[in-house]
Amino acid sequence: MSRNAEAALLAGAAVLAALGIAIVTAATGDRPDAQTALTFVVVALAFGSLHLGLRQSAPNASPYLLPLAALITVVGLVEIYRLDPRLASLQRWWLLIAAGVGVGALMVLGRGGTEWLLRYRYLFLTSAIVVFMLPLLPSSWPLGGLEVNGSRLWLQLRVFDTEVVQFQPGEIAKLLLVVFLASYLASRQGALTTLTRRLGPFTLPEPRQLFPLAAAWGVSLIILVYQRDLGASLLLLGLFAAMLYAATGRGIYPAVGGGLFLVGAIVAGQAFDHVQRRFDAWLRPWDDFADSGFQVAQSLFALGSGSLTGSGLGLGRPDFIPSATTDFVFAAVAEETGLAGSLAIVAAYGLLVAVGFGIALRARDPYRKLLAAGLTSVIALQTILIIGGVIRLLPLTGIALPFMSYGGSALVANLIAIVVLARISHEVAS
Amino acid sequence: MNTPIRRLALVLLVIFGVIVLDLTYLQVVAGPRYRDDIRNPRLAASRSSTERGPIVTREGVVVAESTADPNSAQEFVRNYPEGDLYAHAVGYTSLLFGNTAIEREYSQSLSSDSDLTISGIIDELLGREQGAEGLRLTLSQAVQLVAQSGLAGQTGAVVALEPTTGEVLALYSSPSFDPNALLGSSPVGGDALTADPAEPLRDRTTAQILAPGSAFKVITAAAALESGLANPDTLYADPLELTLPGSTAVIRNADRATCGDGVEVALATAFRRSCNTVFGQIGMDVGAEVLGETAAAFGFNGEVPFDLPVTPSVFPAASLLNDPPATAQSAIGQRDVQATPLQMAMVAAAVANQGVVMRPYMVSETFDRDLNILNQTAAVELRRAVSPGTASVLSDLMTDVVENGTGGAARVPGATVAGKTGTAEVPGSAPHAWFIGFGTLDGRAIAVSVVVENGGTAGDLASGGTVAAPIAAQIMAAWLLAG
Repeated sequence: MSRNAEAALLAGAAVLAALGIAIVTAATGDRPDAQTALTFVVVALAFGSLHLGLRQSAPNASPYLLPLAALITVVGLVEIYRLDPRLASLQRWWLLIAAGVGVGALMVLGRGGTEWLLRYRYLFLTSAIVVFMLPLLPSSWPLGGLEVNGSRLWLQLRVFDTEVVQFQPGEIAKLLLVVFLASYLASRQGALTTLTRRLGPFTLPEPRQLFPLAAAWGVSLIILVYQRDLGASLLLLGLFAAMLYAATGRGIYPAVGGGLFLVGAIVAGQAFDHVQRRFDAWLRPWDDFADSGFQVAQSLFALGSGSLTGSGLGLGRPDFIPSATTDFVFAAVAEETGLAGSLAIVAAYGLLVAVGFGIALRARDPYRKLLAAGLTSVIALQTILIIGGVIRLLPLTGIALPFMSYGGSALVANLIAIVVLARISHEVAS
Repeated sequence: MNTPIRRLALVLLVIFGVIVLDLTYLQVVAGPRYRDDIRNPRLAASRSSTERGPIVTREGVVVAESTADPNSAQEFVRNYPEGDLYAHAVGYTSLLFGNTAIEREYSQSLSSDSDLTISGIIDELLGREQGAEGLRLTLSQAVQLVAQSGLAGQTGAVVALEPTTGEVLALYSSPSFDPNALLGSSPVGGDALTADPAEPLRDRTTAQILAPGSAFKVITAAAALESGLANPDTLYADPLELTLPGSTAVIRNADRATCGDGVEVALATAFRRSCNTVFGQIGMDVGAEVLGETAAAFGFNGEVPFDLPVTPSVFPAASLLNDPPATAQSAIGQRDVQATPLQMAMVAAAVANQGVVMRPYMVSETFDRDLNILNQTAAVELRRAVSPGTASVLSDLMTDVVENGTGGAARVPGATVAGKTGTAEVPGSAPHAWFIGFGTLDGRAIAVSVVVENGGTAGDLASGGTVAAPIAAQIMAAWLLAG
């Protein structure tokens, strides 16, 4: 029954995509063309196959996950099409690839279940670290790192000096890390909760149990320093803190982690121009309007111009927003659909996060609880970091808005997260 | 471990709630402030994105047009194909720097915003195209180009009028600027122009008043002739210096010599040679009141109705009453007498037009998208400055200036040219070189006013006859010989 409702909602998402493309086409004064039908087919095909994958490998899974992800993906796809039809057609390909990977992941999980992942805990940890470091490979190698806008986050595959594909390995590494942390923390839960050592006013667990926290701090600072990516390091630290807290219920972990990160960020702000500029732009965007404050100011102009109901799809000027298809896609949507649309999107993310934590709460064993809570936290933290940056609640961190920003690696990773969450919910309900 | 997970979920969802509140604030409460912020590029886009009608010269050369925005199918960008040639006449329409000149004064007819009149609403309902009217200027590309090349490298202004109608044939202020530099959302180009010490944005044709020097003697002569106090043959004393009563100041001629034989000299001779001694005396004879009335009859001390805002030219008659020395200096266009180049062109045009001042105008007609003429500007008589008889005598005097006097450089082969030079002394700097006059040939006529500030490239050696008159000759030739 609920699988049928899911199918109906997914069909609705495909119709929404076709309508969105048609409206954009009409607004720009062109005749409706094949793009409308093509987008409908791609969305239906991608989410339809994921739906069938769920029927096959996780028939009792929550029916809310996939439609919410589809809704957000479709809104993003329409806005990307409105800004740059060429990017939208690339994103359609990525959607098909991500759905294919998702279906593959479902089939693997359908055979072994999520506990199958437990077996390869340390393989996940090592591969996460290796994958994180991949962008540091020399740029001259066929498979080498690539620096974009001052951050070295990209891996680029070239054949005969022709670029074939670019990928952000960090997106995948995040998932690997969540799996490792879930299984590691689930098994060390007791040790971390028992606070035996006193250090001044603080009570601490055995030092060796603190190793993960130290590692977390270390890794996020290394990323901050070597890849110059404030967003990824904030996300990682937030994820460590959230999962440690979920596993132990000790507020000391997020508190110490946050404090350590603040120290690191302040030092980095002093040491690196790149980080300093981000803080300046956040705190005083109007002082240096022409330079560091420009991006955030353009975002605020877009939000204000959108007002309550927006300019209408295709009728605003989101082309004035820098990086409108990636970091600032939320501002572009908010301009054209107004507060009505932007709140709907935030609500969709909120629902998705609520569903994810619901799965974590209903799970019966610590491992599944932590896995579900971790995956949900990754999605929630990314959403908060980038939307917060776009609306100047937080410093701007160049991070993809899950499902919505243009970018294949993020779409693949986020759909895998949804698929794993779905499988957990299936195992919980069975 | 459900309690920490619940708390974690609660914290994250509360942050979502904060995002909701902040979004509501940014988009609705503070939204209008961001939307209307001068730095929001959408404002410039929406102003420039509506189509505005084209502006063409009398020959049909396009000087302003709206073209489709390459970035957006339904939007337009303004473009000035002639660059700096019509910058002060046509102006620009810019978000950051506002609208100026014709783009400002005719903004309503040029823009395609529908109006709220009954006929406007009916047109809207019937789907008829509204607004975005085109303008045809009276300006001539040929004359305008000569004005530009004549003033090249110098600071000054040219105004040319068709004397019988008041059509402006040329209106050029130097240095000029490219109006295309002020468009767009970046203030860089406009800020540079604003900060330029040469003040290229200043419209020197209508918005700046300068001492007219001896060019003002046309008005002094007109006052003397019209009041019956003198005729061209009236003889005046010819001293080396005119001593001013109750004052130690004296008036000398430009060459520091006598005007004629040192005994007596006729008004006509003094006019031809631009003798300050004689015209200072005539000014005192006529008196400040009559001088003031004559100047006002030509348009001084009042609003000049025109397509651009005009700074009133000044002849401070009231302050000159009972002050003969100041009256004498004012009669030769010095002291506090100041005029716009447009006003001085109107003086010359009135003489050419049998004493009648025509209302100057720069837009001859408006037309719709199908080039149907919507409105045509009619020539309007503003007032009579002097009688036809006085105008005829002045015309003869001015013709003599060009044929036998200081204005020889203004001659145009085959045409009858009349004029008056002026070399206005500027304390501490080179003089302003003036020429005002008119030429006629085979029923075509053009009145012109040329000023080159601070001597232009000639510097201290400049005089109206050597610097301004040759430019005037080229301008008149461009109009008269083209016909």
